[in-house]
Order: sequence, then structure tokens, then C-alpha cells
Amino acid sequence: MSVELFGTSFNPWADAAIRLQLVVGFMTVVVMGLIYAERKILARFHQRVGPQKTGPRGLLQSVADAVKLVGKEDLRPAAADPWTFELAPYFVFIPIFLGFVIVPWVQDWNVRLLELGILYFVAISSISIVGWVMAGWGSDNRYAIIGALRAAAQGISYELPLVLALLSAAMIAGSLQLDKIVEFQSTVPLIVWQPLGFFIFFVAALAELNRTPFDIPVGESEIVGGPFVEYSGIRWSMFFLAEYAGMLIMAFVGSSVFLGGYSWPFGEDFGLPLQILLAAGKGGLFIFLIFWVRASVPRLRIDQLMGYSWKILLPFSFLQILINGFVLVYGLPHIVLLITGVLSLGLLFWVTEGIVQRPLEPRRRRARPTIVQEAEVS
Amino acid sequence: MRGIAKSMARTFAVFLRKPVTRDYPSYHKPIPERDRAFPLLLWDEGIDEPFCTGCHACERACPVECMTVLMKDNPNHKSLDGTSSRRKIIDKFWIDYARCMRCNICVEVCNFDAIAMNNTWEGHETSVYDRQDLVMDLQQLLSQSRTGNINEWVPVLGQTNETVSEADAEDSEVSN
Repeated sequence: MSVELFGTSFNPWADAAIRLQLVVGFMTVVVMGLIYAERKILARFHQRVGPQKTGPRGLLQSVADAVKLVGKEDLRPAAADPWTFELAPYFVFIPIFLGFVIVPWVQDWNVRLLELGILYFVAISSISIVGWVMAGWGSDNRYAIIGALRAAAQGISYELPLVLALLSAAMIAGSLQLDKIVEFQSTVPLIVWQPLGFFIFFVAALAELNRTPFDIPVGESEIVGGPFVEYSGIRWSMFFLAEYAGMLIMAFVGSSVFLGGYSWPFGEDFGLPLQILLAAGKGGLFIFLIFWVRASVPRLRIDQLMGYSWKILLPFSFLQILINGFVLVYGLPHIVLLITGVLSLGLLFWVTEGIVQRPLEPRRRRARPTIVQEAEVS
Repeated sequence: MRGIAKSMARTFAVFLRKPVTRDYPSYHKPIPERDRAFPLLLWDEGIDEPFCTGCHACERACPVECMTVLMKDNPNHKSLDGTSSRRKIIDKFWIDYARCMRCNICVEVCNFDAIAMNNTWEGHETSVYDRQDLVMDLQQLLSQSRTGNINEWVPVLGQTNETVSEADAEDSEVSN
């Protein structure tokens, strides 16, 4: 038994090892680039210049940061639970890393395209919550445990809309395998048929990645960094790497499921360079959107955050699945999906507006002196 | 939702603007002519000696007592076949820049316009490792004026500073 790779056949184990090494190298380089890009782009959102001293235009800033982090002392608090504390970064990092298995970067460029790709992705990506809770629990720090519990609550509640949005897209595409979904979109991307699903996916992805405005688990202004308060050096950098790697994978899964990945708008017969350009452009667009939201929207409160997931996103993702079911069962034309999708997206915005503007507590009467009619009293 | 859409539009508009960063250590913003750094002594180019006669007026007026002045007979006076009309001249002068509060009173009381507030970047970038190094002696106080490395120092009231405004227009380039 052997597997083809680069035109030569390998033992499956060796093949898997080579592919994973390639992905590790790619991921590390891209994460460093992402950190640099985030600092530069966020700086432009603040009308600043960003890093500029390290190397030409600050390009080596991430390298300098990495060297600094590796060189730092790896501390463990005396009262921390040693095993939980030391193992937590791996529990955060490995699930995200395993998620790279199913990403179809470009046509025929992947680790393994599983038949149940999306199911695998959502199953594996929710494991990292365990790592967050371990980090918070093992640190023996109150900020850390608060952050960990927030991360658990948020991660679990936003997992559902995320899964349902991905599933609604998979319903239309008729497959859970990511390259089949991409193939399906060679003429029209799924965002056209599933605008509501895309919106729900994007919001839930922001929450899953603990990005602003859903960054209450790590909110450094309230709980000083959340679960990784006590981490330093290489272990801390593993959390950081996991965060950005998660962003990368979420961007690529999102762009292959909703934006047509490498396929739309030129189809699959086009050359490799164009496909790479398309895939990278769409992933980059997705990541830019995440940065943009970070620069614009302030952090939510925990009750707003949970309420938004359970009261709005979850019912609307069920609505999307219901609509998809009707369309598929009765064989209605796809244009119905577009119309209902836009309408329900509008409904979602309208409901959100109502929820935001509704006061949290019953309205208080302003204390006013009551005019007592002298004549009636007497 | 409307609020979020609005804020995102606003941030994107800011994103398209030019950064306002000025890369300070490698780029010095032109400073206004009336900028007031620390006082320094002026050099009389015509006779090649300091304007200061060591009259102690500034020393007496200084509210924080940061100055020390010593006077001597001018060896270059006309009575000694010299070229100067100053009978007395400054011998030693110390200003403690660590103590000076840049109040401009010494400049106002000076009878000979011999002392001025430094209005160049040299007057601002005075960091030293030892506090004692901030006590400036006569040579240090005079050197900037002596080399001509100082801006015109008495602005006419109400007059705009053309050199600065021109330079301000040019400096919008941001080195990256």
C-alpha cells in the first residue's frame, strides 16, 4: 500500500508525516505573518504606522518576538497543578492543529480530505475548550479560572450556531467533504444562497476564536489575559500560536464553504497559480474582516454574549436549516434560498436592534413631586 | 446592528487615511520660533565676545536660583587698546538646567539682550546620565550662539512664522 505525493509513491505513514511537516512549517510562517499583518493593519485603523524598526518596514518584528518568547523563562506558580498546567497548552494547540487535516488549500493540495470533513472539523475544534479550562484550573489564579469558565461557556454556546451554519451550507452542497463543497460552488458561491448562514458562521467563528467583540475570556482589561495569566515564554507563545492558527483555519474553512474557495469564479480547470491567488485572497479577506471588526466593535458583556447566541443565532440557524429542508424536499429553485436568506438576515438584524435597544431592567419612573390638590385633601 | 455598521464604516474611513505618525528620533518636527527651551548666552559677532557683562541682573531675578555669575574687567576694553566698549565682561557663568523652570524672567530682565531662551532641538534633547552634567558652564552656554546654530530669537509680536509654516507643510511625509 502506498500513497502518491509529488509524483512519487510513499508509505502512508511517511506520507502523512511529510504532509504534516509541510503544514507545520506553513502554519508557523503564516502565523508569524498574521501577527505582523494584524499589527500593521490595526495600526492603520488607528492612523499609526505600526512596527517599523525591526528589519525593512518592521518585517522581522514577529521573528524578534518569537526569539524573545523562546528565550524567556518558563515559569510555573508554586501552587499550580503541575500536570494540568503543563499539559494545557498542548490541549489547546493540538485540536486546532488537527483541524488542518481537512482544509482544502488548493485543488489536490491537502493532508487528507475526509468524507465527513465538516463533522471532523467541528468535533476536533471544540476540544480546545478543554485546554482552556485546564489552563484556568491548573494556574491556581482567580482571573485564570474566571477566564476559563467564560471561555467554556462561550465556546460551547457558540459551537452550536457554528455547526448549524456549516451544516446548512453542507445541505445545499450535498456533501460534508470540503472539496466537494468547493466543487459545488464553481459557478455561484454559497454565500449567495446562504447569506444568513454566512453571517451566523462569521459571528460564531469570531466567538470561537475569542476575537473582539467576543474576547471576554481573555479580556486583558478586566481579567488580565484570562486563562493564560500565569503562562510565560514558550507555553504562552503556544496559546498565541493556537489563536492565530485557529484564525487561519477558520478563515480557510469559511472561505471554502461560503466564498467558493479556490474554485469560484474561474472553475477548477484554471491553473495552480490562479487558484493559490484566489484561495489566499479569500482567506486574507476573511482575516481582514476579523481585524476590521476588532478595530470597530467594543467588547460585549457576558449576558449579552450568551443571550445573543442562544436567543438569536441559534433560532435563526434552525430557521436556515428549515428553509433549506423545504427547498430541498420540494425541489424549489435556488433563488428561493436567496430571497428567504436575505429576508431572514434582515429579520435577524431587526431583532438584534430590538434586543439591543430594549432596556435591561424595567424602566424606572423618574421621581417627580406629585401635585396634591389642596381642596381634595381637605 | 446599525451602530455596528456605522462604526465599521467609520473605522474603514480612518483605515484609508494616511498615518499621522512622526518617527521622532530620526525625524525632528520643526519647532516654532517662540518655543522656549533652556536659556543660553549670546555671542556678539561684531566684537567677538559675549554680550553678557556679568551684571547679575538675571541671577538676582531668577526665582529658582539656578544661575551663578562671576564678573571680571574686560581685557579687550578700549582703555586697554582693545575694540570693545564693555568695561566689565562675564568671567564664569553656570546655569543648572535641572533646576531651571524655563520662566523667561532672565531674558526679560537682561539689559544687554545677552541671554535668550533656546528655541532649537538642542535645547530640548538634554538627556544625560549624571545630574551634574546638567550644570552648564560658560563655554557650553555660548557655543551654540557662537557657531551660529540658533534661530532668530526675538519674534515681532503678531507676526506669523513663515519658516516654520513652510517647513510644516513639507514635513507631512512620514518616514516608514
